[in-house]
Amino acid sequence: MTTYAFLLDLARCIGCQACVAACNVGNELPPDVHYIEIKEQTRGTFPDLKGSFQNHRCYHCADAACVTVCPTGALYKENGLTLVNPEICSGCGYCVEACPFHVPKLVNGRVSKCVACADVVKAGGTPWCVKTCPNHALKYGEREAILAEARQRVEAIKHRFPKAQVYGETESGGLGVILVLPDEPAELELPVDPKPTAMINLWQKVVQPASISLTGLSLAVTGIAAVIARRNHMKELEEFHRRFQARLAEHEAQLTAQGEEPPGAEAQSNEKEV
Amino acid sequence: MATQDLVTQETQETSEGSLPIHHRILRYRPGQRVVHWLLATSFLLLLLTGLPLLWQPLGFLAAGGYTRLIHRIAAVGFMLVPVLYLLVDRRGARELLVDSFHYTRDDLEWLKHAYRYFMGHAAEMPPQGRLNAGQKLHHAGVVIMSFFIVATGLVLWLAKDQLGANGLAITAMIHDLSMFVLTVLLIGHLYFTYVYQALPAMLSGYVDEEEAYLEYPKWVEEILATMAEEKQAKRTRKD
Repeated sequence: MTTYAFLLDLARCIGCQACVAACNVGNELPPDVHYIEIKEQTRGTFPDLKGSFQNHRCYHCADAACVTVCPTGALYKENGLTLVNPEICSGCGYCVEACPFHVPKLVNGRVSKCVACADVVKAGGTPWCVKTCPNHALKYGEREAILAEARQRVEAIKHRFPKAQVYGETESGGLGVILVLPDEPAELELPVDPKPTAMINLWQKVVQPASISLTGLSLAVTGIAAVIARRNHMKELEEFHRRFQARLAEHEAQLTAQGEEPPGAEAQSNEKEV
Repeated sequence: MATQDLVTQETQETSEGSLPIHHRILRYRPGQRVVHWLLATSFLLLLLTGLPLLWQPLGFLAAGGYTRLIHRIAAVGFMLVPVLYLLVDRRGARELLVDSFHYTRDDLEWLKHAYRYFMGHAAEMPPQGRLNAGQKLHHAGVVIMSFFIVATGLVLWLAKDQLGANGLAITAMIHDLSMFVLTVLLIGHLYFTYVYQALPAMLSGYVDEEEAYLEYPKWVEEILATMAEEKQAKRTRKD
């Protein structure tokens, strides 16, 4: 299966906000919702300053924490991209907490994030942000080709940005957005090793399935045992009852022999129901 | 409480002490039954509305967040259980707590042979009081796990957006594990209710004395002893 990816060249991003605007309009987002956020970054101390732009968006991780924690399957992977089915989203907000990039948001109680313009692409088009970028900082295509181009671009800018590197080849199992960075990830406020935490995996991949299957197992065991145990108990009750009656009869006989009135006759029924 | 309220029919006095004829003993006072059914209803609702988040085949039920709303309403009911118990039957609540965390030598012996009880053989088990050792453990488990599930549930309800990835995972894991233990305890509870025909007791409050004697001889003897004492006292007063 072919996987697709974006190329995001931060060495070329000029922070013009054109992609943000195109995304908002193309996806008909409400005024306060943005799938892309651009932030100006200044590094170093005066007068030795460096500037760049953070182009923050869903990175479409292969090993996506949001998909791992999503209880309903509203978040899912397809062709290397992380898509959303808002119809079945429960609005639990687990994805909001789990994402190492802090991307998904809840809007009107449903998850809201970039879905790589899946409908536009399906119809043969290009994602809105890519189409609009005036400085060729964005590209969309098959992941292998995108990755190759990212490597070429890094090589091409090494003389200007010695620390230039590709980001997203292996991070989080391989991102669906391959970034060309002019500097170290940490310098650009990108997590160095983003991935679902061990706790997230323990919770979702061990504790939850184990709880479900052990509950099922105990249901099965008790279901079978119930039939046998109930029969055993009925038998012992009968036996117990017989022994009781025998003892009672014995006592009654004894009492009658002693000439006393059998107590059964005087036993007043003061049965009290609640 | 007068003993007439405990037992619905007189016992038969013999040279060997009291011998039950066919009586019904009060086991659960009305307040205790109300508390039980509030716990049962809220717990089942919580289970049914929580399960979709763990088991993807049921995930579609959670769509739109309606199950979350029901979950939170039921959670309030669940948290009110101890409050209600203290209000309607303080003595019962105290007894439940004290009994569930105190184990006698007979209890330990009983637990060693719990397998026989599990298979429907109550006779020849070490003699038990009002609660058998299994029920004590069950109640203790419910009390402890309920504490964890309420604590983590409140965090998930009120502060989920401040937890971060690991905070969410740890809190939810404790919540899930507590619920797992509680659910297995519920399955056991339903199992023993079926095997030992215990449902009518929680509906009417009364148990058949003969069956009670088989399962809880120490408890029945205690009641009979109290009754005999009272009868003796009455007789002395008459004389």
